[in-house]
Amino acid sequence: MKRALVALALLAGPAVAQDRPVIVADSYPMAYFAERLAGDAAEVRLAVPAGRDPSSWRPGLADIVAIQAADLIVLNGAGLSDWTSRAALPRARTVETGRGLEDELIATDTITHSHGEEGSHSHEGVATHTWLDLALAARQAETLAAAIARAVPDAPVDAALAALLADLATLDETGDALVTGTPVPVLASHPRYEYLGHAYGFDIAALDWTAGVAPDAGQIAELEARMMDTGARLLIWEVDPPAETREAIAALGLAQAVVPSLAMPPVTGDFLSGFREGVAELDAALASLD
Amino acid sequence: MIRGTLALIVALALAGPAMAHRVNVFASVQDGKAGEEVVVEAKFSTGRIPALGEVRVEDAGGAVLATYPLEDGAARFPLDRESAAGGLSITVRTDDDHEGYWLLTPADLDPGS
Repeated sequence: MKRALVALALLAGPAVAQDRPVIVADSYPMAYFAERLAGDAAEVRLAVPAGRDPSSWRPGLADIVAIQAADLIVLNGAGLSDWTSRAALPRARTVETGRGLEDELIATDTITHSHGEEGSHSHEGVATHTWLDLALAARQAETLAAAIARAVPDAPVDAALAALLADLATLDETGDALVTGTPVPVLASHPRYEYLGHAYGFDIAALDWTAGVAPDAGQIAELEARMMDTGARLLIWEVDPPAETREAIAALGLAQAVVPSLAMPPVTGDFLSGFREGVAELDAALASLD
Repeated sequence: MIRGTLALIVALALAGPAMAHRVNVFASVQDGKAGEEVVVEAKFSTGRIPALGEVRVEDAGGAVLATYPLEDGAARFPLDRESAAGGLSITVRTDDDHEGYWLLTPADLDPGS
């Protein structure tokens, strides 16, 4: 199932002018789940403009006005979308699918810095990409299904939820099969994969490289140091790196796998196929280590 | 599926850009002695109140309407409904270089809406 998501920026008018109920989602996984669950009974829109990361997007006033007018606002939670705490959202029409997952959230140790009168301090948070653990994603889908059943009574939610959960469970099994026994140390180009690692047997140490940009000499030196520290022999990329970068990394003895974080829509395919491709890349990379 | 005890994941950098320099901002319209006022409140996620800072007010088109001092985490200014017709974007920058914002839409400008 793949339908083009409508970017909220293209809205021609408020949600009340539409024929079908409008569901606005703050991230691609939530939009995908909403599409699966609501079917044709609702129009699902992604709040974030194409190519923008939900974690750093700052909406304009017109965006918030349009979001406020939606019949249902779907949030991932876990602190993914900063903007959701920067404007008033109608509580009765907003569902945070991560609610109830508090005990499962993974804390992140963030940078400590010093400036101003406050002195040295750190910014703490939790990892945001909960959907990369498909068991958590399934629970989010269940929470969302209940909200859609209330907001869009015509939607065939029960059957759709059963089908979605079955798809997620099937994929979850492929993830489970990746690693048996001790977690495998892995480096990641970005801090996105905490839940994926926790669920599927990877002990992940994250770098923070710019997507699609070749790392400089300092970053390569840092990578080598992290390889020594962790024993990692595999590097996860969020997007396919430049060819020369891939060659340089291979020369260090690292296997590589491109695993989309799926916070934004994949260029081709959908959430399920994107996740499946990521698992296949990890499987091939692990096999190359044997 | 491997799901042991939750581990503290140590990232080398920020979990996301939104985590940096976070100050929570809230703004609302209240009736003041001299008429309607926009009341701005700012607080760090730790609960600490920023002592000083600046409040920048922009209209829906991004034009800066005014700036006001932030003192003890608060500021207030008269609501000009004409210039605020499309809503107000209110950005707080504290004197120790943290920034946050609140978006006040036209619906938010009507008390009781």
